[in-house]
Amino acid sequence: MAIGESRRRSPARLDASFVARWLRSSAADIARNRDHLTQLDAAIGDADHGVNMDRGFAAVLSMVDSADGLTPGELLLQTGATLILRVGGAAGPLYGTAFRDAGMFLGDRSTFVLLDLVDALDAGLRGIIKLGAAEEGDKTIVDAWTPAVRALQRARSGEPPGATRAARAAAEAGSAATTPMEAKKGRASYLGPRSVGHQDPGAVSTALLFAALDRAAR
Amino acid sequence: MTGASIQSVDRAARILKALAAGSPRLGVSELAERVGLAKTTVHGLLRTLERQDLVEQDAETGKYRLGPELLQLGNAFLDHHELRARSLVWADTLAERVGEAVRVGVLYGRSVLVVHHVFRPDDSVQILEVGATLPWHTSALGKAHAAHLSPERRRTLLSGPLPRLTGRTLVDPHAIAIALDEVAQAGYATEDEEAVIGEGEIAAAVFDHGGHPVGAIGVVGPVERLQVAAPPEALVVALTDTARRLSWEMGARRGRRGAGIRRSVAPAARG
Repeated sequence: MAIGESRRRSPARLDASFVARWLRSSAADIARNRDHLTQLDAAIGDADHGVNMDRGFAAVLSMVDSADGLTPGELLLQTGATLILRVGGAAGPLYGTAFRDAGMFLGDRSTFVLLDLVDALDAGLRGIIKLGAAEEGDKTIVDAWTPAVRALQRARSGEPPGATRAARAAAEAGSAATTPMEAKKGRASYLGPRSVGHQDPGAVSTALLFAALDRAAR
Repeated sequence: MTGASIQSVDRAARILKALAAGSPRLGVSELAERVGLAKTTVHGLLRTLERQDLVEQDAETGKYRLGPELLQLGNAFLDHHELRARSLVWADTLAERVGEAVRVGVLYGRSVLVVHHVFRPDDSVQILEVGATLPWHTSALGKAHAAHLSPERRRTLLSGPLPRLTGRTLVDPHAIAIALDEVAQAGYATEDEEAVIGEGEIAAAVFDHGGHPVGAIGVVGPVERLQVAAPPEALVVALTDTARRLSWEMGARRGRRGAGIRRSVAPAARG
């Protein structure tokens, strides 16, 4: 049964299979966009974002496949640990921290509601900000992740499909908005004004993760 | 800027900087707005700069962009830079020896300017960071250089803005001062994800004949390999050895500070 079909009154329960669907969908999206991400990174970085993310999420995929009986929180924790270990550069520590902190927030509950997911993703965002000290407008992951969490928070009373659709659109818009920005954080900031006119690859991969979340919620 | 500066030169410089910041092409009106001058004034300046090939006008749009002569000027700056010139061979050797990327940087104002960059000797794609500027306190190059400056210059650096680039950037002047003392003591500076997440650097200052710091040379790479918190001794030895030899080439006397002996007292004179 798709989540949207659950009864109106009680909030839909999400479980480990939902998280697994999200992670699988993310891995597929990242793999499909591997070259695109790398091309974006070639303009303002080390030209390895796509390759690194694909390597990391391929490892996440095999972790999910062999994970039996893990709680939603444990799945996210394992994802974080895998990404820190397998993705190089700044993306590994940043995404790794986000998934780890989101997993820690969910703790050991076996099911959760959208409200919890919003808070878990917010915890992940705070982890990213603590590590990277980036603010909105700095041309980083934060520029896609923040509006996505905000959209979820606005829609938190609603049902998952509507909320995740809004988050997906917000992340997408946020990543598009990084193009005219001058990078203030990360290696792209070395380029100063020359970073203007290029989309931030991290913001784009974040938008992919929220698009995958939306698909998982349907 | 003092009253002695020549207004038209100052204005021309502002136009060049405006063209260098952000949008690659600007029309006369846009430029006039950005530098706060009348359109006719900006137009006259642009025509003069164009004759020197410092700007060029796009034939189709009529907009202006930076000119090819600036590349020559930039290259001349690098070519005539003594530390860069002398570090070319040493930086290559060091990169080969430790298997990581090497950068040479010089403190200008509150920033470290990367004047030379040798890629990590593997097949990975890397971007050339020559010309990049980093806030001095976020870079091991900057810290290595600053640790040996006169107390006044150090105070000036510590009292200005200290932007945070990552969650690990040191932004408390007091904490940075302590770190600088440790750098002077150890003979090398470290930077642990303080500028870019996932990246670290170890650097040592290079000195001139007077024992004053002229810049720094550093090994930069992924933190998990460099282990900057407790760098492998072989790496530290290779780095400080290179910095010492480079200092000799810059005229530093053997056995002086920076040329082998680790002391923490900054020179009283210049800095």
